[in-house]
Parts: sequence; C-alpha cells; structure tokens
Amino acid sequence: MIEKMRFSGRLTRRDFLRMSGAGLAGASLLGLAGCGEEASQGSSSGGMWKQYKGMTLNFISENTAPTSAIAANLKPFKDLTGIDVKISQLELGSLVQKVSLDVSSGDPTIHVIYADPYQVMAPFAAALADLNDFNEDDSLPSVPKGLGDFIPTQLAAAGRFADEEALYALPYDAPTMIWMYRKDLFDKYGDQMSQDLGFDPTPSESITWAQYYEIGKWFNDNADEVEYGTGQQAKQYDSLMCDFSNVLWAYGGDYFETGVQVGKIGTEDPGPAMLDQPKAIEAAEFYMKLNEISHPGSTSWDWTALDEAFRAGELAMVPNWHEFAAGVEASKLGGKVGYERLPTGPARSASMWGGTGLGVNGELSEDEQRAAWLFLVWATSPETQLSGLKSEVGGGTPTRQSVYEEPEVQKAQQRPSDMPNILTYEAVSKAWEPENIGLRPKIEEWNKCDTVIFTELSKMLAGDKSPEQAMKDAKEGFDRANGV
Amino acid sequence: MLLPALLLLAAISLFPFFYIIYMSFNEVALIGGVDFEWVGLENWTLLVTDPDVRSSWIVSGIYFVTTVGLEMVLGIAVALLLHETIWGKNLALSVMLMPMFVAPVIVGLLGRFLVDSTYGLYAWFLDRTGLITWEILGSKGSALAAVILMDVWEWTPLIVLIVLAGLSSMPQPVLEAAKVDGANYLQRLRHVVGPLISGVVIVALLVRSMDAIRYYDIIAITTNGGPADATKVIPIRLYETAFRFQELGYAAAIGLSMLAFSILVANLFVRILKQQGLAR
Repeated sequence: MIEKMRFSGRLTRRDFLRMSGAGLAGASLLGLAGCGEEASQGSSSGGMWKQYKGMTLNFISENTAPTSAIAANLKPFKDLTGIDVKISQLELGSLVQKVSLDVSSGDPTIHVIYADPYQVMAPFAAALADLNDFNEDDSLPSVPKGLGDFIPTQLAAAGRFADEEALYALPYDAPTMIWMYRKDLFDKYGDQMSQDLGFDPTPSESITWAQYYEIGKWFNDNADEVEYGTGQQAKQYDSLMCDFSNVLWAYGGDYFETGVQVGKIGTEDPGPAMLDQPKAIEAAEFYMKLNEISHPGSTSWDWTALDEAFRAGELAMVPNWHEFAAGVEASKLGGKVGYERLPTGPARSASMWGGTGLGVNGELSEDEQRAAWLFLVWATSPETQLSGLKSEVGGGTPTRQSVYEEPEVQKAQQRPSDMPNILTYEAVSKAWEPENIGLRPKIEEWNKCDTVIFTELSKMLAGDKSPEQAMKDAKEGFDRANGV
Repeated sequence: MLLPALLLLAAISLFPFFYIIYMSFNEVALIGGVDFEWVGLENWTLLVTDPDVRSSWIVSGIYFVTTVGLEMVLGIAVALLLHETIWGKNLALSVMLMPMFVAPVIVGLLGRFLVDSTYGLYAWFLDRTGLITWEILGSKGSALAAVILMDVWEWTPLIVLIVLAGLSSMPQPVLEAAKVDGANYLQRLRHVVGPLISGVVIVALLVRSMDAIRYYDIIAITTNGGPADATKVIPIRLYETAFRFQELGYAAAIGLSMLAFSILVANLFVRILKQQGLAR
C-alpha cells in the first residue's frame, strides 16, 4: 500500500495527515524553499526541517550546471534548515577517487554524494544509504509530490541498482544526447540537399543514421559556412563510449543480452557480453565509416571539445548533450540551432542518457545521514529545480514531470526563451520514453568495461584494428572484467 | 638524540612503503573501511603477464628515452650558449627558466589549448603552413610527440640551470691555459669543459630520469592515454588501476615495479659517477 502511494504522484498518506494536522506542514512540503522560512516557524514540519540546525554538510559533485546553480542559491536551504552546505565540484574521475577513499576511510566526511549510476552507485551501492528508510520515516520530510513525480526511467536508472525496491539516489540531473543542427543551413540548403540526396534531409525522427552520414558528407562537399558536416566526441574517453552506444543500440546491438534491464535497474551478474554479435559489429563498421567523413578533430574531442567546435561554427550538426543547449543559445549560433532526437537505425532510435542522482553516504552516523536526506529532498524538489532552470549560472534540466507542466516552463519551449535548455524539451521528452532511452550497463565492473570499450574503439578509429576485431576484443575484455 | 627524528621518518616513509608491499599481495576492498584478502603472488603474476601493462611500459620507455635525451641535448646546448653570453645574460636566464615554475597540469592545459584544432594558435599555424594538417592530439604519432614536447618545454630549463651551475664553477685557469695552448672552442669543449662538467650532467640526468618515470599530469590533461593507448604511460595505467578500477592491490604491484625501475636507473647513474671518481 505504501509502495503504491509512493509511486502515485500524489501526496502520501503521511503527507495528508501532516497537512490536515498542521497546515503549515503541508506548506513546507509543497513550498519547500519558497515557503521554508514560514513553515519552519513552530510547526511540526518546521521542526523536522530544523532538527539538525547548526550542522554542516559536505556535498561532493561533478562540476555540472545544476550544482553550480545550487551553489549559487544555498540561502533558502540554510533558512529552511539552519544547515550549512559545503560544495566541492570536481571532474568525474576525481570525484570517483574521492568517494572511494572516503567510504574506505572509516571516518567518512562526505554526506551528500553525486552518485553517478555507473561509476559511483554500481561499485559503491553497499556504501549508500537506502533512501526508502528516510522517505518512510515519520520524523523526516518525505519527497514532495512523491517519487512518482520523477520521470520513471530516470528514477530507475539514477536511483536503483540490482534491486527494484532499494533506492540509493534521487534523480538530480538528466543530460541526454540529442541531434543539434544548424537550422539556418538546413533552411538554406534543404531543397538542394533534397534534390541531390533524394530524400528530405530535415532532421526528424524518421531520418536514419545512414541518411545522417549522407547529409554530413553533403555538407563537407557543398557548404562553405562550416568546415565539416559533422563531428564526434571520439577521444579515448567516456565520451567515445557514449557516442558509439547511440549507434550500437540503433543498429540493434547491445552490451549484454538483457541490455534494457541491465541499463535500467542494473545487475551484479550481467553474463557474457554481446559485442561480438553481427549487429554490434555492423554498428562499429558504421561508426568507423561516419568517422571517416567527420571533422578530423573528432578523435581528440571529448563532449566539451565537440560542443566548442559546434559553437565555433565548424560543424553543421552533431550528436550532443542536450544541456549544452544553454551555451549554444548564448553563442553566436543563438537562434540558429534546431534540436531533434538522434537518427534512427535498423532497430530503433536511441539517445544516451547520462543523468545522475544524489545519494547519502551510508557510512555516516544516523543523524548525519538524516541531515543529508533533508538536503536531498530540498535539492531535488520541484521548486529548487525550477529555480535552477532560471539560474544565471546555468542550471540543468529538471528530473521531475511537474516542473515541465509549469506554465512558464511550457512557454519557454518556444523562442524567445529565458530557459534555453527547455528548447530541447520536445526532443528529450521523447528520448526519455522507455523504448527510446539509451542506458549503458549498470554493473559493478562498469569502469573497467567502459575503459575496454572506449580503448578498443579508439584503436579501431586509429586503424589498429578492424571493427570486427575491436568488437571481439571488447567482448573478451568485458567478459574478463565480469569474471565470465 | 636522533631517535625521535628517526621514528618520525620511519612513520612517514617506511610504514607506507611496507604497507604497499603488503597491499601488493592482497586484494583490497574499500567499502566500510579497508579490508585485505591475501592472494599471494596473484597481482605479481598478473603484472608480468598483463599485455596492457607491457604496452604501457613500452610507451613509457619511448617517452623516457626521448624526453630525457632531448632535454639533455637542448639543456646542455642552451647552457653553453648562455655561459658565453655577455650582454643580457641574467634576463635571458630568467626568461629561460620560466616554464619550470609552471605547474605541469597548467602546462598540459596550455598545450591542449595551443594544439586544439578549434582555437589553438599552433594548430592554426601548422595547418596554414601545411606542416601538420591533421589533428595533433587525435593521431597516435603526433599525440605522443606533442606530450613529449610539452615535457621538454617545461623541464629543459632545469637542465640548463644545473649545467650552467657546473659551467660557472669550472676553474678559470684551466680554461685559460687551454686557450693559451691554442685549443679552439670545440677542442676546449671536448677535452676540458666536457670532463669538468660531466659529474653535473650525470646529476641532471639522474634528477630528470627520476621525474620522467612518474610523468602523469600533462598526459592526463591532454590525451588521457589515447588515442589508441599511444600515450598511456605506466603512471596513467597505475592511476586507472587504483582509482578507476579500485584494484589497489594490483596498483600497488605496478607502483612497486615503477619504484624498482627508478632504483635501477638511479644505481646506474650513481655507478657512472663513482667510476668518474665523482661520488663515493
């Protein structure tokens, strides 16, 4: 019953009782930051929020836009709880290192963890607290609007590992790969391209990866405004795995036989890898072919460098993270870029999701964990997410459905928009649907497997290996890492 | 009297050393506090059979010989030039030494900016002149060359400084006697200057070699070991094993193999110094 209510998207039983018993309590649940000060004055809910007044929380995060927005707007949380928050923003690799050392130290100091599902949650799930305990605790505020307000695929992917019940993180950010293209150039050359290529090149859900290749090649040969038609984030790094995975899934390949489940919930026993299968090899062959017409800088670009090249006007179109839209709109390309889901393949259109949740360090004392929970509830609340969306330092995009239903957010989906990331909403909202979302494997040994796949792909692109050999070697590497 | 200092020294150096040796015979779990599981020689066996580690040692070897070699040749040449300079010597030396004071990670960032095809000045110049028209950090050979040159740019000044100190301390009467005897510059360089500064040169070689084995920052910032593992030197592999894969036992074995290599190289140079009568 409780579980059903938690996923209902409405107020839970406890929330209802609180609201009927003390009106201000309800205000604190719904209003949080905005009404926090008022709510905290003398009500039972206010007491909940104030019970750890004077404490200092350490929050470690990847250097991302949502955290920058939160760092610039911590006062409402301090006013609501009396808790100070120290935020450390790091590159993801350094974050993983810090977390691993902290949870092994015996004297942990990090309270709130930016729990990347693959590099932090999967290997360190045992060190993260089960958030259900806090959410169901009557002496603590529960998640406002319930867990059902989070986008379902994101709640599963960012929050769970190997267990459909345990909840290790609340969805916090949601970068997703989409197709960004120079709308001005497609408008200018659309007719000519249609004649030359024999199909309508306007980016849409029906464009295939094979057609994407043709469009890129056409730009290489015919347009002076850009140096190349397309580019890839193909540096020997995590970005290469992300870029390739879109194609892998579109061609019907996957990392493991139960790929969707392994991506969504994760597993401790993924079984043998499937990268040596014909569909995976076909995907690798296409990715290599695409590389041949891509900007030569591609093999040294990670996601940031690819985005910079696109913003510099060197490329007509790119598979890019949707949260880069704010930067694109603020650049000289502002107003000239269109956003669409990634091209489709023989099997489907898949968009790599790279979101993350916030977790609580389970190695801490009970009081510290409970104080950290207060921060999680506040940081992932609709009000804070909406505030981040409007932040001048560039917030991310909300992980809650209710925020997208706000009139001002819906209005921002059209230009001129004061929330530029929301311009991508039509593309990403479809990409987040269960049949379209691209979820990499959530397994304990993902860091090793990730390194294996991007290293083998890099060797393939460098000409050291054929696509078939690279995929076979990647499969062996995966199996070795997973003890298969 | 010395006992407290010795105990402190043991605590901060010997304990971690023996701890790492112990780690290398264990599988180390991190969650909930460090936990050891004895695996005997498993990590050491893996160390000698792992093709990835072997490949990293080969890259490290190429990198080591090339950087140290280039830095020695350039460093000695620049030091000789500065030694002969009369006007503006201090200014030239000050400018020359600047790269040495930049943090390696900043050198990496600077290098990455300069060779980036989107906004890099060097990349633009090389492309326009037709010298290098491909992506410098995106191709195996040029990526390795680029990270080597970044290191050479930063650390050649150290060799210059050390060799210049050796040149400045040469006994002037000996040099003047050689001049009076009619020896030209090259003859003086070969028969007088060379032998007089050889000890200093070997010390410079020793200092740079120890450092080159641990080279990490610039590669981590620029190429992260790629493309196609072309710049994955052994310290990058070590970091990856320890902090990305959480295999601290195996990483300890890799680290100890690096230490053994350092000791071998240091012993080689010290032996040369001894042969020359410059060390006891």
